[in-house]
Amino acid sequence: MIRIEKRAVLPRYHHLIAALIAFAAALGLGSAIFIVLGVNPFSAYQAMFNGVFGSFHSFSEVLVKTTPLIFTGLAVAVAASMMLWNIGAEGQLVWGGIFAAGTALYLLPSAPASVLIPMIIMASACGGMMWALIPGLLKARFNVNEILTTLLLNYVAIIYMEHLFYGPWRDPAGFGFPGTAQIPEAAHLIRFLGTRMHLGFPLALACALLLFIVMKKSSWGYRVQVIGSEARAARYAGFSVSRHTLLVMALSGALAGMAGMAEVCGIHYRLQTGLAVGYGYDGIIVAWLAQLNPLAVPFTALLLGALFVGGEQLQTVFGLPSTISLILEAALLFGLFGGQALIRYRIVFPGRKKEIPTASSHSGTTS
Amino acid sequence: MTEALVSLRGISKQFGTVSANLDIDFDIHRGRVHALLGENGAGKSTLMSILAGRYRADSGTITINGTSVSFSSPASALGHGIGMVYQRFMLIESMTVAENLLLSAHRRIDRKNVALTIQETAQQYGLDIDPHKYIFELSMGERQRVEIIKLLLLDAQVLIFDEPTAVLTPPEVAAFFSVIDTLRNAGKGIVFITHKLEEVLKLADDISVMRKGRLIVSTRADRESLSRRRLAQLMVGRDVVLQVVKEPVEPGDTVLLLENLSGNGSLGSVSFDDISFEVRRGEIFSIIGVAGNGQSALVEAITGLGPAHSGQLSFCGRTYTPRQWLNSSKDTIAYVPEDRYHTGSVGTMSIGENSGLTRLSAYQNGIGGMFLDRKQMLNDCAAAIKTFNIKAESPDDTADSLSGGNLQKVILARELSRNPRLFIAEQPTQGLDISATEDIWKALLECRKEAAVLLVTGDLKEVLSLSDRIGVIFNGRILEIIDAHDADAVGRVGLLMAGVSS
Repeated sequence: MIRIEKRAVLPRYHHLIAALIAFAAALGLGSAIFIVLGVNPFSAYQAMFNGVFGSFHSFSEVLVKTTPLIFTGLAVAVAASMMLWNIGAEGQLVWGGIFAAGTALYLLPSAPASVLIPMIIMASACGGMMWALIPGLLKARFNVNEILTTLLLNYVAIIYMEHLFYGPWRDPAGFGFPGTAQIPEAAHLIRFLGTRMHLGFPLALACALLLFIVMKKSSWGYRVQVIGSEARAARYAGFSVSRHTLLVMALSGALAGMAGMAEVCGIHYRLQTGLAVGYGYDGIIVAWLAQLNPLAVPFTALLLGALFVGGEQLQTVFGLPSTISLILEAALLFGLFGGQALIRYRIVFPGRKKEIPTASSHSGTTS
Repeated sequence: MTEALVSLRGISKQFGTVSANLDIDFDIHRGRVHALLGENGAGKSTLMSILAGRYRADSGTITINGTSVSFSSPASALGHGIGMVYQRFMLIESMTVAENLLLSAHRRIDRKNVALTIQETAQQYGLDIDPHKYIFELSMGERQRVEIIKLLLLDAQVLIFDEPTAVLTPPEVAAFFSVIDTLRNAGKGIVFITHKLEEVLKLADDISVMRKGRLIVSTRADRESLSRRRLAQLMVGRDVVLQVVKEPVEPGDTVLLLENLSGNGSLGSVSFDDISFEVRRGEIFSIIGVAGNGQSALVEAITGLGPAHSGQLSFCGRTYTPRQWLNSSKDTIAYVPEDRYHTGSVGTMSIGENSGLTRLSAYQNGIGGMFLDRKQMLNDCAAAIKTFNIKAESPDDTADSLSGGNLQKVILARELSRNPRLFIAEQPTQGLDISATEDIWKALLECRKEAAVLLVTGDLKEVLSLSDRIGVIFNGRILEIIDAHDADAVGRVGLLMAGVSS
C-alpha cells in the first residue's frame, strides 16, 4: 500500500521547493483559464515571456513595477514577522505619496535636488509611518485588531488624497484634470539608461538588505522575532510587546510610504489617480511568497512585477483582460501555501522500506 | 486468564527516523488495570494514542473481542468503546459540566434530562459532580471526573488514563484510586500510563514497561518480585538512585523577604493574600500547593511580571513597595517558569538562540547594544549541551524538537549562567522522567550553595527531597511554614495542601 507520512526533517531547500510548486500550480491554473478563453496556453505564456524578456526596455518596465512591490513587500514582511497583519500598506503608500508631493510642491519648491530628494524620502517615510502608527497605537494601547484598522484606513487615505488633488492641491493650469501640478524637476528621481527605471529601485534593494541585517543581527530584530513567535516568552524575558508593536508598525509604514514616494517622484511626477493601484495589497503576496525573508522580497517582487507586465502583453496580443495576471497571482499564493503543506509529507512506496535503526539498537546503554 | 478484551499485536509506529513503537503486543482485560510504565519518550503515549484512534499505526493489528478493527479517528475508537483521558483535559472552560458532556454525547443523552443522566452515571461510579457548575470553577480532580463521566456516557469499555495523578492533590489521588476500583469492579478495562512507581504497585493487575519504543516487560503484577527498585531499573535500563544526596549548607544572608504581600495577579488567576516568608542564601525554600492556589500570581509578583497591591518586599537588603519593585532591576533573579514550552522557550527558534532569551545584555555589542552576537549564544549553548548532558544534535536544533527534560535543561543552564542571587524554579520537574528529574534536582541543590532558591511545586516528593523549609499554600494564603527536618510536621503537608489545617 502506498502511504503518506509526515516528514521528520524538512528537505534542505524546502522554501525553494514550495516556491516551485507554487509556480507550477500557477502555470497549471493559468493554462486552464487560457484554454477556456480559447487561447493556446503555450502561445499565451510565450507572449507573456516575450513581454517581459523580449527587450531591454520591456524588462526595465518590469523593474519599474518591481520597485514599489519591494517596498510594500518589505513593509508587510516586517510587520508579519511580529505577527502583525499590515493590510494597510496601500494607505501608507498613499500618505507617503502625499507627503512627498507636498514637500516638493509646497514645502521646499525651490530647493536643489541634493536637499530636496533626501527631504522627500524622509517625508514620505514619515507620512507612511504616521498612518501606520494609528493602527499601531490602537493595537498597543487597546488591543484593537490591526487587520481591520489598517484595511479600513486605506479607504480614508485614498479619499483624502482624492480630496487634495480634486480640491486644494489641484493644478490650476491642469485644464480641470484631477491631479496636482507637476513636481519641480529637482524632485524627480534620477532615471537610468533612458528607461523609466529610477533611483527608487536601488533604494528599495538597499532597504531590503538593511532590513535583513536589522532582523538577523540586531538585538531589536531578535526581540521582534521572539515576540512574533511566542508572546508569553517575550513577556517572561521582559520585552515590551506594546513598544515593539509601535516600532514595527512605524517601520512598516515608513517602508510603504517610500513606495508612494517612488511612484510620485519616479513615475507620475504628480499626485493623481493611479497612485493607489493595489501595490499595498500585492505586497502581502510578495512578503509571504518570500516567506518573510527580506532578502527574498526583491525576487518575489520581481516575479510579481513580471506577471503584471506579462499580463498587459496578453491584453495587447490576444485582447484578453489583463486582470488575468491577478488570477495567476492568486494561484501563486494558493500554490505556495499548498506547497508548504505538501512538503511536510512524503509518499512511501511499499517494499522499498529500508531497515531503519532505532534508538534502542544498543539496548541498555547509558547516555 | 480470560480472553483479552482488546489485543494489540505487532504495533509499530515511526516518526521520521525514530521508532516510537516497535513491534508491540499489549492486552487489556475486562476488570483489570494495566499499568504502562516508562520514561518520557519511551513511546507510551504514542501506543495509547494509536489505541485511542489519534494516530494510525504503520503496522500491526488491533482486535476487540477477537474482531479486527481499525480506527480513523478518536471518535471511531470511541464508537468501539475505547476512550482516553488525556493529560490536558479536553473541556471547554466557559461552559458547564452538562454542556461539555452534551457536546460529546449529544447522540446518547436526551437534552432535557442531561443533568439527571449525568447524576445517575456519576452516582453509579462514585463520581461526585455538580452538572451545573462551570468547568473553570472546578478543581483538577473534578475536571478529571467530568472526563471520566464523558467516556462512561459514551459507553466506553476501555478507559485509558495518561498520567492521571500528575495534577491531583494527595486526597484527590486517593479518591481517584477508589474510582478506579469501582470501574474495575464494573468490568471495565483500564490502562494507566504513569511513571510513578508507587501507584503502579498499589493499583495494577498487569504491568508493562516500555523503553525506547520497545516493550521490555509485560507481566501480571506480582508484588513480591517486582520491587520499586526493579521497576525503576527496568524503566531506565540502569540502576537509579531515587534519593538525591543533600549536602548540608550553612544558610547565609536573607536574600528575599516578603512581608504581608498581597496581590490579584493577572486576569483570571487566583489572588494571593498576606504572604510573608524569607529565603536565605544556602537554602531551598519550597512553596507547595495544588495548582491554582495563588502560586502563579505570587511568583509573577516576585519576578516582577505581575503586580502586588500591598505589603512590601526586600531583596538583598533593600526594601521596596510593590510599585517600586515592578520598576527595579531584576538581573540577579533567575527564573525557570512552569510552562517550559511557551514561556521558558520559543519553540520555533534554535536552542542556541533560546539560551540568550533572558540574558540578551550579555550578548549585545555596538552602540547602545544595538547588535547581538548570536554566534556567542550558539557557542555557550554548545558548552551547556556538554555540561548538562543535553540530548541535542547541535545548538541549531529548534527548541520544540527537544524532549521536555532536555529543553528544561537548556532553560536551567541559561538561568544558572546569570549567576543569580535568587533562583526561582516553578514546577521544574513536572512531567519529566526519572533521570531528567534527578539531574535537575542535583542542579538545584548545587545552586543553593551560591544562591537562595525558591521552589514552587505541587510535587510532594520533590519538596521532601530538596527543601530546607516548606511553606504550604492554599487558597492564596500560606497556611504554615514547616521545617523539613521536623518529621512529624512534614507528615501534615499533604493534608495542608488540601486546606485541612489542624
